[in-house]
Amino acid sequence: MTPNTRAILMDLAQRMGGLYAPDLKSPYLAGSAGLTAAVLMMAAEEGDRTAHRLVEENRAIRVLLNEAAGLPPPADLAERLRNLAGGDDSNLRISALQAVNDALRDTLTDLHAFVETQPGDSAAGLNAAIWSELAASTRRRAFASASF
Amino acid sequence: MAEEPLTPERIAAYITTRLADAHDVEVDSLSRITGGASRETYRLRLRYQGGDGAVERRLILRRDPPDSLIETQRDVEFAAYRAFYGSAVPVPEMLWLEEDTGPLDRPFFIAEEITGFESSPTGLLSPPFSDHAEALGTHKWTILGEISRADPIALGLDRLMPVPEPDGCWARELDYWEGVIDADQIEPQPIIRATIRWLRANPPPPAQKISVVHGDYRTGNFLYDKEGVIHGILDWEMAHLGDPLEDLGWGLNRIWCWGGDDRRGGLLPREQAITIWEKASGLKADPAALHWWELFNCVKGQGIWVSSAKAWMDGQNREPILIFSAWRMLNMQDRAALELMGHL
Repeated sequence: MTPNTRAILMDLAQRMGGLYAPDLKSPYLAGSAGLTAAVLMMAAEEGDRTAHRLVEENRAIRVLLNEAAGLPPPADLAERLRNLAGGDDSNLRISALQAVNDALRDTLTDLHAFVETQPGDSAAGLNAAIWSELAASTRRRAFASASF
Repeated sequence: MAEEPLTPERIAAYITTRLADAHDVEVDSLSRITGGASRETYRLRLRYQGGDGAVERRLILRRDPPDSLIETQRDVEFAAYRAFYGSAVPVPEMLWLEEDTGPLDRPFFIAEEITGFESSPTGLLSPPFSDHAEALGTHKWTILGEISRADPIALGLDRLMPVPEPDGCWARELDYWEGVIDADQIEPQPIIRATIRWLRANPPPPAQKISVVHGDYRTGNFLYDKEGVIHGILDWEMAHLGDPLEDLGWGLNRIWCWGGDDRRGGLLPREQAITIWEKASGLKADPAALHWWELFNCVKGQGIWVSSAKAWMDGQNREPILIFSAWRMLNMQDRAALELMGHL
């Protein structure tokens, strides 16, 4: 559908921040309207990329979970890794992708804690790969307006 | 029970009970202003006839919200302000603390308004304020040094704030904020969980002294003028006693680099800020200890940001600042933790 969601939200953000907020007499409402404009702008950015970043991230985490099989992890963690490592994100609804992402990041958190305690080059390599993915995860979520 | 609207008449009726010799008490110009997500803040004008004639005062009323984002004690905040009033730490005069819900439905306090100054962190980034960034930064870190130097026992704050042992400050704070994240996180936080593991495995040395910790000492929580002078330190709602490096680490947090560069709080480079604080406080910022407290403050920040997300999701607070916190601040906080651990 045209105009798309991103274009609509960006336009609403500009109207809210540039047109409506300056005319509000209440400092509280003017401040709230300014913040609403900033949030709408972020929503435009996030709405456009959410499905892409979730699919990309889910794939990247599955690679890490598969790499852990050789360590090997304790039985309960190993079972969770097996259950999650084979997903394919066939349902592209954001709610479905987010649920899978939550399960993957939850398991990645536990895998990371386990890997940190393990000796050897394989564990060190996986630890470095997890940190690298965590850094990438923040780049996927960063906003253009952020100061850091 | 349904609340009545907050009106000038209700506030005037309350103030009448607190001003024994006053009559014809009137309140007008009541307007809500932004002032943190944990209290509702209002500006108002008070007029009355006193023993020496007509009196007019500009006041601030801070009232508890229906549901608070971060649990804080208003009596502690009130006491912290009072403790520093008239000292080298500029704060507004506290007038009345009311913990009974009868007068205005929820507990509140009333203070003088320090008028005529700015508080916006982004306002500092352009002239005429940006021309005085170094002076403002020097004043900011000097004031924090004064807070850190102060004796909380002599100020009487031990009567309201628990006094931790010097070697127990770090665990108390980390336990608390990890508990907040445990209770409020809606989605997994792998970066901050790894941060917590590192902090527990590498504890800092005992605090060199027990200080007053402001709890939210950052650009955005002080009033400043066009000449580079700070006139009021605000938002003491998270004040407590603890390791002075906690406040230093919070103020140095990368998420407060409003200017998009490395100047902390948008004012001064990190090392310069530390030097000023050391001189004013008479304390030392041991690099390893400060590193721990800077990293800890990423956990504390994330506790606030995940609580913001939960408050919005639960519907208890729908202020747009909470979405801003849940998205942008949370992401920047993760990046700050990664940077401190050398993984960004």
